[in-house]
Amino acid sequence: MRNLNSKAKESASPLLKNEGIKSVSASLLSIMAGLLVGGAITVIVALINDEISFKAGLEGLKLIFFGLFSTGRDISGNLTFGFNPVNIGNLLFRATPVIMTGLSVAVAFKTGLFNIGAPGQYLMGTAASLFIALTIPSSSVPTWIIWLLALIGGMAAGALWGAIPGALKAYLNINEVLACIMTNWIAANLVTWFFESSNLRNGNESGKIGYIMPTSANGVVTAKLGLDRIFPGSQVNGGILVAIIFAILVYVMIYKTTLGYSMKACGSNKHAAEYAGIKSKRMLVLSMAIAGALSGGGASLYYLSGNTEFFHATYQSLPAEGFNGIPIALLAANNPIGVIFSGLFMSMLNIAGQQLKNLTAYNEYITDIIIAAIVYLSAFSLVIKALLSGLHKRKSAVAVATRKGNSTTAGVQTHADEEIIEEINNGVKNAEIDFSEDKREGEE
Amino acid sequence: MSEYIIEMLGITKEFPGIIANDNITLRLKKGEIHALLGENGAGKSTLMSVLFGLYEPEKGEIRKNGKVVKIKNPNDATALNIGMVHQHFKLVDVFSVLDNIILGSETTKFGFLQKKRAKEKVQALSEKYGLKVDLDLKVENITVGMQQRVEILKMLYRENEILIFDEPTAVLTPGEIDELMEIMRSFRNEGKSILFITHKLSEIMAVCDRVTVLRKGKYIGTVNTSDVTKQELSQMMVGRPVELTVQKKQAMPGEVILKAENITVPSKRQRNKPAVKNVSFEARSGEILCIAGIDGNGQTELVNAIAGIDKTTKGKITLCGHDITSASIRQRNKLGISHIPEDRHKHGLVLDFPLKDNLVLQRYFEPEFRNMGFIRQNAVKQYADRLILQYDVRSGQGGETITRAMSGGNQQKAIIGRELDRNMPLIIAVQPTRGLDVGAIEYIHSQLVKKRDEGKAVLLVSLELDEVMSVSDRILVMHEGEIVGEFDPKTTTVSELGLYMAGTKKQGGTDQ
Repeated sequence: MRNLNSKAKESASPLLKNEGIKSVSASLLSIMAGLLVGGAITVIVALINDEISFKAGLEGLKLIFFGLFSTGRDISGNLTFGFNPVNIGNLLFRATPVIMTGLSVAVAFKTGLFNIGAPGQYLMGTAASLFIALTIPSSSVPTWIIWLLALIGGMAAGALWGAIPGALKAYLNINEVLACIMTNWIAANLVTWFFESSNLRNGNESGKIGYIMPTSANGVVTAKLGLDRIFPGSQVNGGILVAIIFAILVYVMIYKTTLGYSMKACGSNKHAAEYAGIKSKRMLVLSMAIAGALSGGGASLYYLSGNTEFFHATYQSLPAEGFNGIPIALLAANNPIGVIFSGLFMSMLNIAGQQLKNLTAYNEYITDIIIAAIVYLSAFSLVIKALLSGLHKRKSAVAVATRKGNSTTAGVQTHADEEIIEEINNGVKNAEIDFSEDKREGEE
Repeated sequence: MSEYIIEMLGITKEFPGIIANDNITLRLKKGEIHALLGENGAGKSTLMSVLFGLYEPEKGEIRKNGKVVKIKNPNDATALNIGMVHQHFKLVDVFSVLDNIILGSETTKFGFLQKKRAKEKVQALSEKYGLKVDLDLKVENITVGMQQRVEILKMLYRENEILIFDEPTAVLTPGEIDELMEIMRSFRNEGKSILFITHKLSEIMAVCDRVTVLRKGKYIGTVNTSDVTKQELSQMMVGRPVELTVQKKQAMPGEVILKAENITVPSKRQRNKPAVKNVSFEARSGEILCIAGIDGNGQTELVNAIAGIDKTTKGKITLCGHDITSASIRQRNKLGISHIPEDRHKHGLVLDFPLKDNLVLQRYFEPEFRNMGFIRQNAVKQYADRLILQYDVRSGQGGETITRAMSGGNQQKAIIGRELDRNMPLIIAVQPTRGLDVGAIEYIHSQLVKKRDEGKAVLLVSLELDEVMSVSDRILVMHEGEIVGEFDPKTTTVSELGLYMAGTKKQGGTDQ
């Protein structure tokens, strides 16, 4: 048994050596784990809830996995599946903003920062975009120029909002997570206040109290680029292509340019970057500004569609699109191209949840719990990757080390309790970096 | 009862594409100090990992006191009373010394810690073996030497009989090394068995009874230290005759490359006391100027100030006639500084980068490697391949290898290659041979001498007096942030230097 086991590991080794394959398989595994747990919850809810029959539970299970392809129910009441252009179009539409926030979080991660400020940056982008799109008169300026200005304005506002925690981190050593949370809430209240006193509120339609006018009121609408003909009846527009282009640009920036090189160097070893003459403080601010611009741009792409309306009044929650950037980036292992796919996956869950709510007796709360469980487990891809690496590392670390010489750094643990120590040390170090060690530098 | 307390017989451990241990036999007698000698990559770590149950060998068996034992995980090893002091200590920085010692095997009563009893036990041990530690201090506030004593106490606290020391002297001052040797001898007299992993031949000759030599995964032999010379041991280890002394011509000092005038650098640890006080010196082309001193006497800060990492509060630094006192790090790098940093993991390398990216760490923005903001991947790759070949940097996948996966010796070679290839008039090398084996040390020394002969100024900071004496052309001794003496290695002695390093004597001032 032991032998078999080790043989299986051996044979898996060459495959697991490849970082990319490791990341992708880790992400797929965590998605599967998430879906399975989500499915299990669906069934359990059906079993304990009198209102949901067992049959409905199985239907729920089907919808969790294949909700995207649900086409409703036939005359006899059975679920039908097939190509559903509305679902797929909406999938693409909703993926647009979260791909952008996913990119935002991923860029910041590359410089070693945790951008939990994406919701605030998203809100600032929303406000700037809507303001520009609704106030520049379309009678005198071509709408595509307004559209472009609104996108640029949204990105600029996001960039500014991202740069603030970046600068606080770089020059005053204030933990970026704390600063981001603060700026999030400042943004929430600032945006509410700004719209409260503006004349952009939608007073024309009934039932729209608290909403801002859609940008279509000023004729500013994202071009459909023919996508509406492929997916008729959906909200899809060219924004998804813009998001994909951004993903490619970010990929190129991170992996192909000297800027990306400096950012990554700062992210993985600030001291070495400084030793090499890279201005790490400037890099921190810059990377947070880029991250903010992406979040802000995500908001622009979402609200410039013309068929989305921003609910500004009594703002008590932060936009989920911002926070969803975090699991999306994690799921993609911070790879910008991967973010496209994890963003699509996240939005697929959204569609599946909607189908579940519409077609079965599951209410929106249960649906949200199921979706949350899937997202939660999906974000474990890094853990699963570490496990995959662990399988392989035990074998390879010393192999690698011995091939090119003995190593004190291969990270070979020799005692069980030493692993605990390592962990504690890491934890403590992280805390220290944020609160005490860097304080010294801040005083310089 | 067997004569041997631990026997590792015919151990073979293969990894895909490499045999890390090929039929290796290591027999440790009860009550002896046994050295395990080998170059980087000889398989010492793998063998120890097998002993600790981290790897299951394909062939071979381990016996304790003649009985075959199965060690499947580190807990088995601990249960067999095997303990190890790692080269990089495994301590929790913010825990007290006492907490670190008892961590993992705490004395408890009804689930509550019995710290008082633990403390008594540790104190008894510490007195018995002369291991001076302050149990209440936090580990982050104690010296490296004391941290090592904490690690040793950890093993004693667990009542280990078989003690493994992995390169224990790499981080110690000459005095601390002597103390450690004394402690090891007292363990031997107690009947404990010690495995001493090292590649410092003089230490083996001083303290060990027998030596097992490994080379490239193969067992070369086990000899009594009384029967061999250093020269023979190094030949067993490297496989060819090695120059233990540095061959060099008379230095031909030329013009002044680096001039430091009255520079003062504030200390990061102590507020009111500068780390470097009013230091002035000149480094000339064609000479190796060495700054000697016990660790922590301002050498690090002095070098950081020259390289631009730390700021000076006073004084002037001139490089090749340019005032660089307030220049940025990059300006200095471009103007003429190559810097082999003290801490290769902290400053020298981005460990998660592929090797090729690390090889252009200060150069990636130069036109050779950059085109319109894009990195010229091919140029980087070609350049990396050339350096890898030229400086014999060994790694699994060449330039694509993640640097973290490389051995310490090869990481250092990569840094040396990168820095020397930049061909700058000033080469700062801070402890360039720390933790490396004889072959690599010989190589690095010869490279430094070569650069000197090419007319570069070499500023060498070293804690090892052997290195100081053999490599340098001129020696400055630092003590408490001041230069306390200047020496010619040909006319001074190690013991004379030692007196200045310890602060007992001082040139140009009254003796203390």
